[in-house]
Amino acid sequence: MIEIKNLVKRYGNLVALDYFNLEVEEGEIFGLLGPNGSGKSTAINCMLSLLKYDRGSIKIFGEEMAPDNYKVKKQIGIVFQDVAVFEELNVYDNVDYFCGLYVKEKGKRKQLVEEAIEFAGMKEYRKTYPKKLSGGLLRRLNIACGIAHKPRLIIMDEPTVAVDPQSRNKILEGIKELNRQGSTIIYTSHYMEEVEQICTKIAIMDHGRSIAAGTKEELKSMIKTGETLTIEAVFVTAEQIQEIKQIPHVFDVEYKEQILTVRCTKAKHNLIRLLTFLQEREISFGRVFSELPTLNDVFLEITGKQLRD
Amino acid sequence: MLDLMKYIGKAKIRKFDIVFWPFLFPLILATFMYLAIGNMEDADFETIPVAVVEQKGENLEEEQMKEAFFTFLSEVSDEADAENRLVHIEEMSETEAKKALEERKVDGIFYAGKEISLTVGRNGISQSILQILLENYENGKQVLLNISQAHPEKMEAAIKSLSEFDTRISQVSLGGKTMDGTVQFFYALIGMACLYGCFIGFGAAMSLQANLTVLAARRCVSPVHKMKHILIEMVISFALHFFNVLVLLLYLRYVLKLEFNGDFLQMLPVALLGSMLGVALGLFVSSIGKMREGVKIGILLAVSMICSFLAGLFNGTMKDAVERSVPFLNRINPAAVISDALYCINVYDDPVRYTKNLVLLGVLCIAMVLGAFLLVRRERYDSI
Repeated sequence: MIEIKNLVKRYGNLVALDYFNLEVEEGEIFGLLGPNGSGKSTAINCMLSLLKYDRGSIKIFGEEMAPDNYKVKKQIGIVFQDVAVFEELNVYDNVDYFCGLYVKEKGKRKQLVEEAIEFAGMKEYRKTYPKKLSGGLLRRLNIACGIAHKPRLIIMDEPTVAVDPQSRNKILEGIKELNRQGSTIIYTSHYMEEVEQICTKIAIMDHGRSIAAGTKEELKSMIKTGETLTIEAVFVTAEQIQEIKQIPHVFDVEYKEQILTVRCTKAKHNLIRLLTFLQEREISFGRVFSELPTLNDVFLEITGKQLRD
Repeated sequence: MLDLMKYIGKAKIRKFDIVFWPFLFPLILATFMYLAIGNMEDADFETIPVAVVEQKGENLEEEQMKEAFFTFLSEVSDEADAENRLVHIEEMSETEAKKALEERKVDGIFYAGKEISLTVGRNGISQSILQILLENYENGKQVLLNISQAHPEKMEAAIKSLSEFDTRISQVSLGGKTMDGTVQFFYALIGMACLYGCFIGFGAAMSLQANLTVLAARRCVSPVHKMKHILIEMVISFALHFFNVLVLLLYLRYVLKLEFNGDFLQMLPVALLGSMLGVALGLFVSSIGKMREGVKIGILLAVSMICSFLAGLFNGTMKDAVERSVPFLNRINPAAVISDALYCINVYDDPVRYTKNLVLLGVLCIAMVLGAFLLVRRERYDSI
């Protein structure tokens, strides 16, 4: 459905997209995950033909994307990171205006607008002006304006930034619903939890490149970490740390501020083996946590830095 | 398309910046200007107290001249018409007169002797009027001298004629229409109001340029041709601001009752082109570069105010001063061209100059609209 090949975009000396490649299949919720400045929004703006790029190609629905490719544009819905609505129009008028850019027929448009308002849970705010809406409701209006015309492809550029948890969950549920209704979704975020929660396929971006792509399981299987064990331990000697490193499947041990972090490859009974060792050495310990690898671990292992650094 | 226009229009008329600056502000300023200077023409000047010190004439001719001066003074200080008399004369000795001048009981001293002279204690309107009176008298005196040399037999009749001093000057416009000296400020104000359309143009640029606002970006990614967006924005902006200027013209003419004696219909093309020019100026300036919104508004405000100032908004003589020193500036200053076109309709009654102004306005308008159009028609940007 979307095919981006060797896309290069420079801002002077700064390379924002560095031979960026991407493939999105119809029906996916495709997550573009990366820290701020990794090139997610630049990639989106190039896809939408808003930005000039230095080289590469972008094909959407099998057609070369261009500013005057209205056939393709008609099938795309966009939800920008910043709220893009008219402050001077009420909720209904805003949704109707943006839907009107895509759908000319009045009767059909009226129905679509009603559905979008209902979808965004804003029925009782139809006549409300944006400045009277809370941050969460404003985001929902932003989404309603972007999806009212029932596009085949919806691009969402960090739609949950600065949104309260309740509204965030509602938005994420809404995105899954849109996908169920048949829309393919490209979702950019630097919140790995969100991407993990809703995306069926993910590309991790850093410095304008796609450094890994696949399902979340595929991404996690790419890395060494299978399990991260975190234990509150009062005192652990350097010798004991060396001994922990000898435990099967353990490949990294860190002890800092009475927190022992042990990274193991994917295997059964890692936690039991570690706790047995601590008991045998009579090392006092408190709370114990076991975490399966996250996308942050994937990012950390590939780039050597945290996703939110 | 009509639905899109409806919403764009609705959004514009609800925007404070678009309603206040181009619409309400000129009306408010016009009202204040009217209150401040609207009645300047009817202003009362107090009678000027002046002392006259009589000095002895050396011969008959000088005595006759002195007598003529006294007659002249008695005419301008007509005691019977106390309300309208220009000066109040008191004959004094030189010492008394100097003391009175020092104590500001009189504004000047006329010395009537061999030569007529005026002494004033300071500068001011009263002193200027006394000076003008003296100059008038001197002019008359010169006429008498000429007559005494050329036709001495008609001297007596000439003195009689001079003594029957009367104001025979009435103010009329070049076109034969009554001239209200204060309307020039209002013509410059109309020029300013037209240029304030730049705020509407600014709003339009902000909602058309994807590199300026995210709202514009959302519009640009839609399947509506960019030209259609531009056309809608321009048509609505021009219409809206033409309406603003029209309301101002009607307000000045029918509410403040300013003397717009020319054909009102002739003012409409000026208002139309002027308002288009203002909007296009806003579109043009706002589409240049990626300066902050505040900076762009500052530039627009400065440009429109400087143009209006040079067109005579706050100083009636400014436009003439520019015409004398840098006439080209008056040709490219839209506010000056608008003001001059209105002058042509209401004062000069000069169709040729009016047409020239209209053509000039049209050329400026086309240049600005084209410039703005070329800037906003971009579909892809280097950075967002």
